[in-house]
Amino acid sequence: MMLENLIWGYVYPNESEIQWSILIVLYPYITGLVAGAFIASSLYHVFGKNEIKPVARFALLTALSFLLVAMMPLLVHLGRPERGIEIMFTPHVTSAMSGFGYIFSFYLTIVVLEIWLSFREDIVKKALSSHGWKELLYSSLALFSFDISEKTLHDDEKFAKKLAIIGIPSAAFLHGYVGFIFGGIKANPWWSTPLMPIIFLMSAIVSGIALLILLYIVAMKIRKHAIDHKCLQSLAHYLWIFLILDVTLELLEIISMKYASREDIDIINRLLSDKIGFTFWGVQLTLGILIPFILLLMVSLIKKRDTLKMIMISISCIFVVIGVFAMRWNVVIGGQEISKSLSGTLTYVPVFFSQEGVLPAIIIFILPFIILRVVTSILPPWKDMEEETQKLN
Amino acid sequence: MQPHLKRAFTLLALVIIAFILVRSLVVPGSFGQYGWYRGDSVNELRNLTVNYAESTSCGGENCHKIIYDVWVKDRHKTVNCETCHGPAEKHVLNPRETLTPANDTREYCGKCHFKQIARPELFPQIDPDTHGQDLRCVYCHNPHKPWFV
Amino acid sequence: MDISRREFTKVGCRIIIGATAGTTIVESLITNGIAADNSPDQSGYDWEKHFWGFVVDTRKCIGCGRCANACKLENKVPFDEEVYRTWIERYRVKKTSLETREEEVVIDSPNGGIDGFVDDIPAEELKKSYHVPKLCNHCDNAPCVQVCPVGATYETKDGVVLVDFQYCIGCRYCIQGCPYGARYFNTEKGTADKCTWCYHRITKGLLPACVQACPTGARKFGDMMDKNSEVNKIIDEERINLLKPDLGTKPKVFYIGLDREVK
Repeated sequence: MMLENLIWGYVYPNESEIQWSILIVLYPYITGLVAGAFIASSLYHVFGKNEIKPVARFALLTALSFLLVAMMPLLVHLGRPERGIEIMFTPHVTSAMSGFGYIFSFYLTIVVLEIWLSFREDIVKKALSSHGWKELLYSSLALFSFDISEKTLHDDEKFAKKLAIIGIPSAAFLHGYVGFIFGGIKANPWWSTPLMPIIFLMSAIVSGIALLILLYIVAMKIRKHAIDHKCLQSLAHYLWIFLILDVTLELLEIISMKYASREDIDIINRLLSDKIGFTFWGVQLTLGILIPFILLLMVSLIKKRDTLKMIMISISCIFVVIGVFAMRWNVVIGGQEISKSLSGTLTYVPVFFSQEGVLPAIIIFILPFIILRVVTSILPPWKDMEEETQKLN
Repeated sequence: MQPHLKRAFTLLALVIIAFILVRSLVVPGSFGQYGWYRGDSVNELRNLTVNYAESTSCGGENCHKIIYDVWVKDRHKTVNCETCHGPAEKHVLNPRETLTPANDTREYCGKCHFKQIARPELFPQIDPDTHGQDLRCVYCHNPHKPWFV
Repeated sequence: MDISRREFTKVGCRIIIGATAGTTIVESLITNGIAADNSPDQSGYDWEKHFWGFVVDTRKCIGCGRCANACKLENKVPFDEEVYRTWIERYRVKKTSLETREEEVVIDSPNGGIDGFVDDIPAEELKKSYHVPKLCNHCDNAPCVQVCPVGATYETKDGVVLVDFQYCIGCRYCIQGCPYGARYFNTEKGTADKCTWCYHRITKGLLPACVQACPTGARKFGDMMDKNSEVNKIIDEERINLLKPDLGTKPKVFYIGLDREVK
C-alpha cells in the first residue's frame, strides 16, 4: 500500500525496488575523499608547494585510511559477497566496474609505497631505538633493512616523487572511473553523460581537500598545537579553485541537458524540481558550493584575522563535505528515482537496520577515522605539522 | 637497487605470484570455453526442469485423444491445454500425479472474454453485467468447443 | 641515483616472465582435464545451427496475463514478489482538448498483468488503448552483458542472453544497465535474474512457456536461421519495430503494431 504513494506515473514492474542503496552512495564518496587527499598531498610531493608540507604526510595517511575501507560498502552490498573476488579473477574488460579490483590494488600499492618511503626514516629510527614487540613491528615495517644514510634518504625522496607522479593520474583514474560507472549507463538519462567522470573527479578533489583541512584542524586542537595558518589558507585557496571547476562542470551538465531538451527532459525536470529538488539545489549547490565559495572568497580578501579565517574555512569545509555527499546522493539515488520508462518516478526510503541500511553505512564511514587514529599512532605525522608552526611562532 | 627497495619489490612480486597461483586454482575450468563466461553454465541452464509439457503431449492414443480431437478442430485450438489446466509435465511423466481441475469460474473465462476497452475490437468479448447473469460460462459453453451451446 | 633504469626494467621483466610462466603452467595442468568439446550439447542440439528470435504482435494481445502467469510457474519466479521475467503493459491515450493540446498517456501494469486489468477510465475519455507484452529483448548488443564485471551474463551462440547463477556476484550493475527493466534481483539466489526465453525448453524443441500459454498468438517464437520459420516470415513481410532502437542494443524481440507512446 505504501509503495503506491512512493511511485508516480509508470515504472517498469521490476523497478519497484531501488537496487543501489545508501552504501553505493558512500562508495564514490569515500573513494572521492581518497583521491582528494592524495592529490592534496601531491601538491607538495610533486608540485613542490612547500606551504602544504605540514599536512603532506598526514594527507597520505588519510588517503590510506579511507582507501582501506573504500571497498567495504561495495562488498557489503553484493548479493553474493563471497564471490566478490571474481572481479579480480575474471574481470570482464567491457565492464566499467571490472577494473575496480585492479585499479584499487594498483593505487593501494602506490599509496603504501609512498607512505613507506616518506616514513622510512622514522620507522628505522624507531626500530633501532625500541625494544620488544615494538622493535619487531618497526623492524618488519622497515623490512629489516636499516640503511638511512643521507644518500639513501635522498634517493628515497626522489623515488617517492616519481611514485607521486604516477599516483596523480591513478588517483584521477580511480575516481574518474567511478564516475564512468555511472556515466557509461546509456539506459539512464540522468547518468549517461561524458562529463560524469570529470565531475566526479572535481568533486572528489574538493571533498578530499575539505576533509583534510577539517582533520588537520581537529588533530591540532586535540594535540593542543598552534595551527599553521599559511598552510591552512593555502589549502583553502586550492579548495576554492577546485570548487569553481566543480561547479562549472556541474552546471554545464544541467544546462546542456535542459538546453538540448531531449526525450528525457520532462522526467529530468521532474527529478530536479520534485524528487531531488532540495538535495540538489539546496544542499549540493547552495550549501555545498555557493556558500563555501563566498566564504572562501572572503578569506582570500580579508587581511590578518587568522582565527576568523580559520572559522570561516572550517565552516566552508563542513559545508563542502556535506555538499559533496549530497552530490553523490543525487547521482546515485536520483538516477534510480526516475524510471527507465521515462514516464514515472520512484522514491528511495532508507532503512536503518539492514544489510544495506543506514547503520552499516554509518559504521563503514566511522571506520576510516578509527584506522587513521591507529595509523597515526604507529606512524606519527605530527613532527612536520608541529615543527613548522614552531618555526613560524 | 638499494636493499630495502629490493625487498619491497620482492614482496610485491611474491604477492602478485601468489595471486596468480590462487587465481589459476580457483577460476572454474570451463571459464572461457566459449567466451568470457563459464561454459558449464550453459548446460546447467539447459538442464532446468520443464513444467509445461505442451498440448501435443496430451492427445496420445491412450490418453486424452477424444477431447484433444474435439479441441484441435475448434476455435479454442489456439488456447493450449495447460493455459487452463495448468502445468502438466509431472502428470505426463507420471499419470498418477493428477492435476487440479481446471478453473471454470466465470472470472477465469472473463480474463479473456469480459469486455475491456484496451482489447482488440474483433476479439469475442461479453459484458459481464448483461450476459449470462451470474451463471458459470461452462454452463452454456463448452470450453473445448466454445460455440456449442 | 642507485636504481638504474636498466635494473628496474630487469626486475620488472623478471616479475612479468615469472608470473606468466607460473600461470601458464598451472592453467595448463588444470585445463588438460577438460575435453576440447566445442558445443555444450549432450543430446543432439547444436547451438551453432539456431539463432532464436521473438515476435510480439501487440494488435492481438488481450491482456489476459496468461503469459506472465505461465512464466512464473515455469521458471519458479516468486508470485509474492514484484519481479517479472515477462509482463504486460496497458497504454491508454486520453482524448486531448483542442486548447491545451497536451496528450496524456496512462500506462500501467498491475502485478505485471497477471491478474488482468480493470477498466477504470471510461471509454469516452480515451482516444485509443492497447496492451504491450514485454520481456527480455535478448539484445545482440546487450548492455547487461557489456557491464557485467565478472562474465556472469553472456549471449549464447544461439542468441540467448543468460545469467550464470553460480557465478553472478549480485552487484546489480546489469539491472541498472538494462534500458528495458527486464532484469530483477533474485533475493533467494542473491543474483540477478531475467527471462531466458525458456532456454531449457527451446533447446529441447519446446516453445517458451509464455508463447505456448498465449491464447491469441500474440507471441511468436522461432529460429531466425530457419528460412521458413514464422518469425522470419513476419520480420520479412510485416512492418516491425523495436523497443528503444536509438540505444543501439539490437533487440531480438520484434514488435508489430508498436505505437509511439510505448516506452
